[in-house]
Parts: sequence; structure tokens; C-alpha cells
Amino acid sequence: MLKIEHLTKIYEDGTKALDDVSLTVADGEFLVIVGLSGAGKSTLLRCINRLVEPTSGKIYLDDVDITAASPKELREIRLKIGMIFQQFNLVKRSSVLTNTLSGRLGYVSPWKSLVYRFPAQDVARAHANLERVGIAEKARARADTLSGGQQQRVGIARALMQEPKLMLADEPVASLDPATSHSVLKYLEQINKEDGITVICNLHFLSLARRYASRVIALKDGRLVFDGRPQEIDHRRFKEIYGEEAVQVEIGPELTPEEATQAP
Amino acid sequence: MNNQRPPTKPASLLGPLRTALLVLILAAAYAYGFRVTKVNLYDLVTGLPNMHHIVLSLLQPDLFVRATEMQKSDTPFLVRAESGALPPPPATPPAKPGPSVEIYPSVAKPGDVIEVKGRDFKPDTPGVIYLIWVGETRLGKITTDAQGSFAAKVVLPGDVTQGDYWIEARVFRELNWYVPSETLILSLRLMLETIFLALIGTTFSVIFSIPLSFLGARNLMMGAPFGRATYYLSRTFFNLLRSIEVLIIVVIMAVVVGIGPFAGVLALAVHGIGALGKLYSEAIESIDPGPIEAITATGASRLQVIAYAVVPQIVPQFIAFTLYRWDINVRMATVIGLVGGGGIGFILIQYINLLEWNQAGTAIWLIAIVVMAMDYASAVIREKIV
Repeated sequence: MLKIEHLTKIYEDGTKALDDVSLTVADGEFLVIVGLSGAGKSTLLRCINRLVEPTSGKIYLDDVDITAASPKELREIRLKIGMIFQQFNLVKRSSVLTNTLSGRLGYVSPWKSLVYRFPAQDVARAHANLERVGIAEKARARADTLSGGQQQRVGIARALMQEPKLMLADEPVASLDPATSHSVLKYLEQINKEDGITVICNLHFLSLARRYASRVIALKDGRLVFDGRPQEIDHRRFKEIYGEEAVQVEIGPELTPEEATQAP
Repeated sequence: MNNQRPPTKPASLLGPLRTALLVLILAAAYAYGFRVTKVNLYDLVTGLPNMHHIVLSLLQPDLFVRATEMQKSDTPFLVRAESGALPPPPATPPAKPGPSVEIYPSVAKPGDVIEVKGRDFKPDTPGVIYLIWVGETRLGKITTDAQGSFAAKVVLPGDVTQGDYWIEARVFRELNWYVPSETLILSLRLMLETIFLALIGTTFSVIFSIPLSFLGARNLMMGAPFGRATYYLSRTFFNLLRSIEVLIIVVIMAVVVGIGPFAGVLALAVHGIGALGKLYSEAIESIDPGPIEAITATGASRLQVIAYAVVPQIVPQFIAFTLYRWDINVRMATVIGLVGGGGIGFILIQYINLLEWNQAGTAIWLIAIVVMAMDYASAVIREKIV
């Protein structure tokens, strides 16, 4: 269980990205964070694994205070938190297999890993994870020869190598076309349902949130402005989150007629 | 829709005035510049013909010579106040087979005419008679007859000091093939030395600048105050080394380890640490930060992040910069010899000082060919890997 208490982040230039956000995420949830660009969604995710240092507030993962962890403790906490990114963040010149194995670095002996050696069971695990996201045959290919959707699947495989409890997904489909977006989100849904991994995912599109989330929260100017089930976001709430000028757009082929009529 | 443009500023007098002032300052700067650098086109035009001889000689580098076969024989000779004959040797050595030379008189005073006779040389062959001391002085030309003998009268120069000398006759027979000249062989040997001088110098700078470059990369070091200090320290160190001209470092290193190639290696290494360190650091700074973030998020240690997120991204650039540096260093190594750093520059400056322009041409052409070849090769390799 993840508990966030009074989390505030003020960047060095004075930008207040998060303003007193409190939140509890139960195990097994598929939590989608929506909001405009700059609303603080990415900052919130990055505070959870401290890629961004919170200014104040506390974050607990299973009652362990992440914000108070020493560098060594932090690395152990991070093992349990997988993360995938909008730009996939693969090492482009390295092979798909090496990219996948790099998710295992926290587990292996530092000296062996520095000469690019991994235990055989980790290599087998990497192949299994690539198999799971449907790109086993690409293991030897260079990462930058893959399509965007394939690269994001490598990103998922890399995160799975950590055997995480919690998966953070920062705009995982914002760089992908609608069809590919659904295929990537389905893999996230699958690991959420089959492995019981809690997923916290930033999304731009409300339609995708409605389709995949078990719970949606909305951020606006760093503040939590909505917390509830995806169906509860009606026209009024939409305007609150995205502003008066926003027009709802739909994405993807998997749109039901009543979803479409919800658009203003 | 808002189609209004922001109102344009009213034209002020300040604009043209500022331009006029700028032009005036530029004109003054160039006027002064021409004066202190003594730019003088008249000297350039009138002096140009002086270049004629040098350019012609440089265009005829000393590369190959006709292969020759030489025969020589010598005999002792004394220069005294009075001429006469040498006392007979205590025991006549048995006559060796091969050519021999006799002179008369064997004791002479400066300015005397000496008769030189030789026999059993190769027939019908040109040759030269030398007076041998520490060095040698050419006394006259000879040609052997059909029996391989010659007789010639030569004049001893008036300014020869009294002492013990030898008279030597050498005959040369040109053979029907060409061999590399001594200049070419020496230049090739020193060119090879130069290439390796550059290689070793580059290697030393690579060894030191790779670890240092990580400390000088803003994106890796800007986290903590300690890292920030290290960053500025490393960058200052690089700039300091880079700003000292290689030629100056060679002179200093020659004092430490003596004149020769090792001084050159050290100079290239020291300067190269600064130059490569800066390039490497900038290569590290220009990498995609995404993978660093991703690998950090997996719980990897700092060293693992560098090994898995940074190193794969910088390897091609590092190789390219290293080749580029080696290429520059070969060019530099040719001039560091001028100030005692070994390599081909060392003989080039000697040829120039002795006005031996054909020989200097050999070295210069060799340098040009090697530098161009290195330039081309490193460009091709760089293109392949980046």
C-alpha cells in the first residue's frame, strides 16, 4: 500500500509543481492520473521513487518512509518500483536483451554487472519477460531498430525484471499512435490483473483513463482536484480539470457509442 | 481574432549614430592592427622572387639516388712548414690486394702541388681525391684509365694548418638502378617515430582524460555541492592544460627528461588531457538523460548507471574524438621536433638551417602525405562508427 501525505514540490526556479497532495493507493489498483501538461503528474510519479526530491511531505510504501531513506535504502525501495517512460528511455545503441537485463541491476553483484555479465537465470528471466510482451524474437536487435510500441514493451519488460510491487507509468503512450497505445496499455492491464502489480499511470486522454483505470485522480496546478471512479468524471468535472476552453477528444478504436456521446 | 500588430518603435537618431560609432571603432582598430603587424604589400611583391629558389628545391625533394659502387684507398700525409718525404715505415706492410694510392711529396707545405697516383681501381671510372682530417676537403676530380690507374696533380689549399692527414681516392661507378636516398630513409624512419610519438602521447592523454571527463560532466556532477566543486575543478584543470601551447610544454619537458621523443610524448599527453577531457565531458553532457533516469529508477548503483546508461551512449563519440586527437597529434608531432621533441621535425629544422631545401622538401612532402592520409582515414572511420 502506498500512502502519500501532504506532498509538496517546489522547484529551484520557484515553480510549485505539487501543492499539499495526499493520497492512498491500495494494492492492486490501476490508478490513472489525468490533468493538463504541467499539472504536476510527472512530478508526482517521480517523487514516489525519488527521481525528484520532494520539498516536504511523506511517502510510505508498505509503511517504509521513502522520503527518509538513505541512498542505500532508497536503492532497495526502488527495486520494488518499476517505471516506464513517455520516451521509453532505452539505451538506443544497446541490444534489447541488454536493455531488459539492466532492469535487474539492483539484484546482481555490482562488479560482475560492470563487466556486463549477468547470471544465467537472469538472462532466462529476461527472455521470458520479452516473450511475455511479445517481442522475444527481437532480443538481439539494437533497441533503436524497434518501433515505438515495441520499444515501450521493452520498457515494460525491463521494469518486470525488477519483480516490482508497484509500476509507475509516466505518459507511457503519449508518443504512440492510438492502436499501439491500446496494445501497450493492455500489457499494463495484464500485469496489473495477473501479477497483482499496482499501476500508477499518467495519461493525457480521458478516454484511455475510462477504459483502463480502476480509479482516476486529477491534478490541476499541483493540487488534487478529483479522486474517484472513472465513470464519475462528467462534463462539469472535465471542465474543472481541463479548463473552460478544453474540448474532449477521443482516442483509439475501442470506443463505445455512449463514451462517444459523452464528448461535448 | 486579433490581427493588430504591436506598434513599431518610432525611428530614433540613436540607431544611425550607433552604427557610425561602430564603423569608426572598427576602422581605428584595423588601422592600428595594420601598423603593429607591419603589413606591407610592397615588401610582399618585391620579395616574392626570393621564394623562387626555395620553392623549386622543395618541388625536387631528395628521394632516390642512382645506386653506386665505391672503391677507396688512402695513404698518410703530413702538412709541415717544409715539404719532403715521409720517413719510410718501419716494416712495409704486405701489399693488400685491391686499389692503392701513392703521393709525392708525402710531406708538403700549404699551397704545394701534390702528385697523386693510384692503381688497381676499376677501369674507366670517375672519382674524387679528398684530404681527410676530422672532416674532409675535396681536392680534385680523377678518372681511371683502361687499366684502372690514374695520376693527377692537386693543389693543397693555402689555409691548411700543419698536422697529420690522409689523402684518399674514391672512385664511383653508377649502377643501373636507383635506391632511396639517405634523406628519404632517415625521413621515413623519423616519420614512423612521429606517428608512434603521437600514438603514445594520445594514449596517455586518453588514459587520464577518460576518468577525469566524468568528473567534468555537468549532468553527472551537478547533484551535490561536492559534485559541483569537482565539476568546476576538473573543467578549470582541462582549460589550464589546453591553454598551454604544446611547443611550450615540449621545452619544459625537454628540461625534465632531456631532448628527444619522450619529451614530445609527454607534451602531447599533457596538452591532450586538457583537449580530450573537455571534448569527452561535452560528449557525456550531450547524451540522452532518459536512460540515466530509467536505470536509476531500477535501483541500480551510481557506477551501474554509468556503465549501462552513460557508457553505451558515449563510446562512439569517444572513439571519434580519440582518432581526431591522434590525427591532430601527428600534425603537432611534426612541429614539436623543431623545439627538441623528437620526430621528423627534428631533422626538418636541421635541413632548413643548413639551407638544404631538397632534403627539407623530402621531409615536408612526407609530412604532408602522412597527415593527409591520417586525416582521410580518421574521417572514414569516424563516419563508420558515429
